[in-house]
Amino acid sequence: MSTTGSGGNKPKRSFTPLIQVFEPHKAQTPPLIPYFKEFWERRAFALELARFADKAEYLESRLGKAWLILNPLFLSLIYFLLVTVLRGGPNKDTGLSTLAHILIGIFMFYFAQNIISDGAQSITAGGRLILNQAFPRALLPFSSAVRAFGQFWPTIPTYFAVVLLGKVFYPKTHIPLADLNYLWAPFIIAALAITAFGLSLIFAVMNVYFRDTSKLLTYTTRIWLYGSPVLWKPEMLHGWHRIFIYINPLGPTLAATYHVWIDGVRPSNSELIGTGVWVVLAMAIGTYFFTSRERDFAVRI
Amino acid sequence: MTINNSGVIRLGTSTPSTTMMTAKGYKGDILLPDDLAVRIEDLTITYKINVDTKKTLKNAVMRASKGEKVRMRQVEAVKKMSLDIPHGSVVGIVGANGAGKSTLMRSIAGIMPPTSGRIIVNGKISTLLALGVGFNQSLSGRDNIILGGLAAGLTRDEIESKTDEIAAFADLPDGFIDMPVRTYSSGMYGRVAFAVSVSMTPDILLLDEALSAGDAAFKEKSFHRMRELVEEARTILIVSHALATISDLCDTAIWMHKGTILAHGEPGKIVEEYLKFLEVGTLPSNLEDM
Ligand SMILES: Nc1ncnc2c1ncn2[C@@H]1O[C@H](COP(=O)(O)OP(=O)(O)OP(=O)(O)O)[C@@H](O)[C@H]1O
Ligand SMILES: [Mg+2]
Repeated sequence: MSTTGSGGNKPKRSFTPLIQVFEPHKAQTPPLIPYFKEFWERRAFALELARFADKAEYLESRLGKAWLILNPLFLSLIYFLLVTVLRGGPNKDTGLSTLAHILIGIFMFYFAQNIISDGAQSITAGGRLILNQAFPRALLPFSSAVRAFGQFWPTIPTYFAVVLLGKVFYPKTHIPLADLNYLWAPFIIAALAITAFGLSLIFAVMNVYFRDTSKLLTYTTRIWLYGSPVLWKPEMLHGWHRIFIYINPLGPTLAATYHVWIDGVRPSNSELIGTGVWVVLAMAIGTYFFTSRERDFAVRI
Repeated sequence: MTINNSGVIRLGTSTPSTTMMTAKGYKGDILLPDDLAVRIEDLTITYKINVDTKKTLKNAVMRASKGEKVRMRQVEAVKKMSLDIPHGSVVGIVGANGAGKSTLMRSIAGIMPPTSGRIIVNGKISTLLALGVGFNQSLSGRDNIILGGLAAGLTRDEIESKTDEIAAFADLPDGFIDMPVRTYSSGMYGRVAFAVSVSMTPDILLLDEALSAGDAAFKEKSFHRMRELVEEARTILIVSHALATISDLCDTAIWMHKGTILAHGEPGKIVEEYLKFLEVGTLPSNLEDM
């Protein structure tokens, strides 16, 4: 005989008192501390979901994973050619730094975009899971973010490989390779991820109510990319025009990225403040919006 | 058979415990007898269905520009239900399609929020609801067991130590457990799902159409496992259209009809009345003047 669980040979009841009360809510947030506690306790589920989603997608093709790097790499090259042509031909002095800037900019932007667009669809795509299991729903967008990070980090060595190669051909370039200011990079990447995660919470809710939100996002992110300091330097904006960097949730972070990775200097104070403000704002609004609506998901899926 | 003439129904024949326990509601503490597994108070659950168009931003903007309102249809799947389920009950739930059985199960599991009323649940819940767990079709059965266990709140160590046991219980032929789930027959799928949900050692087990897909041998095995759970004094709620399951396994039964409890009591009697209703198509005469 095969039994599962504690089976018949262990008749002791593993009864731990655990009383839950389910009550109606009028767009109220649930008690946040128990919510985060439960979220934290079940983080393994989100991590595993991310890992298995990758596994399911790349089960058949080993080349599949390579595309995660090749895709943004090719895209960067195309943008680099476009930018070079628009500027009236190649320039020996700035060519490599333009390429490096576009590379790291696209890698970072793609990271944020993946968090946002996958996260936005995570609730509507999680149909069965949502209808059959009770768990903090924020675990689904969180899982998307984890997965996006898994796809993002290999692009960092790719970046350095390209820069290293570039340095061989243009030893004069000022792009830093080993520089103390890179210590800012983990914070910048984390800030970008958290801001994007906060935004993905908002879009995930919107996508439950309006199913074309995620489609709309694909168009908006294109425009968003052009509006971010990825294909152009933050210094190109002067005076009050600089506000365009700061009204963009990813703007200050991407400007800081440019300064650390290409100029080899620390991010400016206003960039750091802008980044901090957007992190807090995105998380606060995202968490409120998401947790106050999430119990509505099951009746609207 | 007891006919429901509203008021609170307590399932089974035991007398309510006089010791009270406290639960924390939004508006202060709630007192209830400590022998209850589930208390349902005046529960109503309404689905909101958008009738005419797809739920898109585009449509919403178009309608707003024309000054039209969204036509929403509301379906009351559960209506003003009150019910006390003591610990250790094995409750069968029968009722026609669309009676609200699955909705009730989802609300007890904490998946569907009450539209009004309240549910108090005392104990760890494991669910096997109508559609199965959120199984990922391209992953193997074994991977899905891990995912299912984690979704149900087990730790990674717990589920990993149980995976072999669960796989053995599901007992799929020829190493199918390591094949993608999309290659499974519906019975094989059902076996894995059932094995996962009974492995959780829940205090309260919710099964919705869980036993329908298995073959005779697996039915036997799952009956055996459920009896074990019953002996361990766990609370089990079973929704099934296989009425023999209800009368064999359960010690009390509920007949749901259009979102309300029409009758409750001894499973054999309830099933009998329900069968009569299915044949004749009219409700028992003593109910009609209600
Ligand atoms: N996701 C949903 N959206 C809108 N309405 C729903 C949804 N799920 C169920 N309903 C409605 O709620 C009512 C009760 O459905 P439910 O699934 O609870 O019935 P059931 O008793 O489980 O039926 P069955 O025996 O067919 O499984 C039905 O009228 C159904 O149309
Ligand atoms: Mg059902």
